[in-house]
Amino acid sequence: MDAVIDAVELTKRYRGGARGVTGLTLSVTPGEVFGFLGPNGAGKSTTIRMMLDLLRPTSGHVRVLGMDPRRDGVAVRARLGYVPGDLRLYERLTGRQLLRHMAGLRRMRDLGDGEALAARFDLDLDRPIRALSRGNRQKVGIVQAFMHRPDLLVLDEPTSGLDPLMQREFGRLVRETAAGGGTVFLSSHVLSEVQHLADRVALIREGRLELVSGVEELRSRARSRVEVTFADPPPPGAFDDLPGVVETGREGPRVLLRLEGDADALVKRLGGYTVRALDAHEADLEDVFLSRYEEPR
Amino acid sequence: MTALPILRRTLRDLSRSLAWWSLGLIGLAAMMIGVYPSVRESPGLEDLAQNYPEALQELFSFGGGFDYASPAGYMGVELFSLMVPLLLIIAAVATGAGAIAGEEDRGTMELLLANPVSRRRIVTEKALAMAAETAVLGAVLWVALSLGVAIIGMEISVWRVGAAVVAAVLLALGFGAIALLTGAVVGRRGAAVGITAALAVAAYLVNSLAGIVDALEPLRPLTPFFHYEDPDPLRHGLAPAHLAVLLAIAVVAAGAAAIAFDRRDTCR
Repeated sequence: MDAVIDAVELTKRYRGGARGVTGLTLSVTPGEVFGFLGPNGAGKSTTIRMMLDLLRPTSGHVRVLGMDPRRDGVAVRARLGYVPGDLRLYERLTGRQLLRHMAGLRRMRDLGDGEALAARFDLDLDRPIRALSRGNRQKVGIVQAFMHRPDLLVLDEPTSGLDPLMQREFGRLVRETAAGGGTVFLSSHVLSEVQHLADRVALIREGRLELVSGVEELRSRARSRVEVTFADPPPPGAFDDLPGVVETGREGPRVLLRLEGDADALVKRLGGYTVRALDAHEADLEDVFLSRYEEPR
Repeated sequence: MTALPILRRTLRDLSRSLAWWSLGLIGLAAMMIGVYPSVRESPGLEDLAQNYPEALQELFSFGGGFDYASPAGYMGVELFSLMVPLLLIIAAVATGAGAIAGEEDRGTMELLLANPVSRRRIVTEKALAMAAETAVLGAVLWVALSLGVAIIGMEISVWRVGAAVVAAVLLALGFGAIALLTGAVVGRRGAAVGITAALAVAAYLVNSLAGIVDALEPLRPLTPFFHYEDPDPLRHGLAPAHLAVLLAIAVVAAGAAAIAFDRRDTCR
């Protein structure tokens, strides 16, 4: 199947030398949830804004839903829902008036899924937007992006301001959308937000794509943290000979280890000691990414 | 839902300011027409006016010259030489500058442009909203002036008054469209208002002072004000050629705005 988003050597340089995006090549396949990760200012929004024809590439190109966002912008955006990273709404309207306006621009006869989504996110559509909290504004942004059941959702930091309960609801919505055949491009600066939703993730840093990887593959490469409390702690370096194990610290009888890959050798070695407690944290992708951020270039 | 959603949304957003502008224009008309009977009965005022310095007379003359005694002369000096075009231009420029640059300043353009509407269509509908707003203000002013003229029995045709209002509306639309264009080019509302205001003041001064500064005379036809006041609509009615120039300024500037906005990156 053709890619839903296909960027080739996509480059944006801003006048005045501000960092943009350099030579970004990536491809998003239909029906997948694609996580687009990077620290603030890495070029995530710049990339997204080129997909929506809000910015024009300096060089390279991007095709969205098989079309050119510049030439066929109207056709592209008819099948796309967008939550801007810096969401600004019409302050004087109520949520419902804003959704009606958006629906009118889309030539919809009603609000589509708007009412149902608002109810689902516990959003009062009759309050003026200027009276809404940040989280509630974000909900308006989410509802307007999803209400016409678009084929592609481009979501730039969509859960910012949402409380954990609503973030979970949003996660369910994303999964349902993907299950229904929709494609979701989800940008975030926190990995934990997308690691349970995304099929694949891309990491962008300083305007360059660092890696694209399946989440599972990344997880298998990730290191877990193991915390062992001994009755009688072994001498330092007792585990250094095991493959993939590094001792990272000690607090009295507790020894902190970092484990990469198979756990078998470590477990067998621990069998020779009296272990009072064992605590292993599942591989956290955050650590993988953090170690990449911190790598000197 | 229905056609032209951006036009309708913009007009709805403008409705409150439109009401205040209308009240202001009605007040202006009532005041200026209200004092006319006392002006008419004191011939000394006319002599006083004729003794104004020439530069002042040029600044405040409308059409045929500085004449305070006749109804057309009075209305020209008091309303159509400065106040009416000034107010209509301010209203149109505020709307024109806000049309594109205002949404970019507020950050709402991002949301608007996420919809399946072309940028040209956005500019077109916003320009039409500005034209509708200015036309409504012109209509309110014309009705107010006509009522006043009828009440105090001023000897001037309401159709001639209407002609002057039409010319003023077209003049204002020209500057409104220039504000729309500058906003579409630079993306900042403040800059669009400032640049357009500077242009309008310069054009007004060139046209008004050309009578005393000969060097400026050849520049007059380049200013919209010349095409607005020179045919003297209060005395002679509408002059199609001059109206066409005013209309062309508005249409060309709005068209250029659509092209300019279509070609650039949006601002945040």
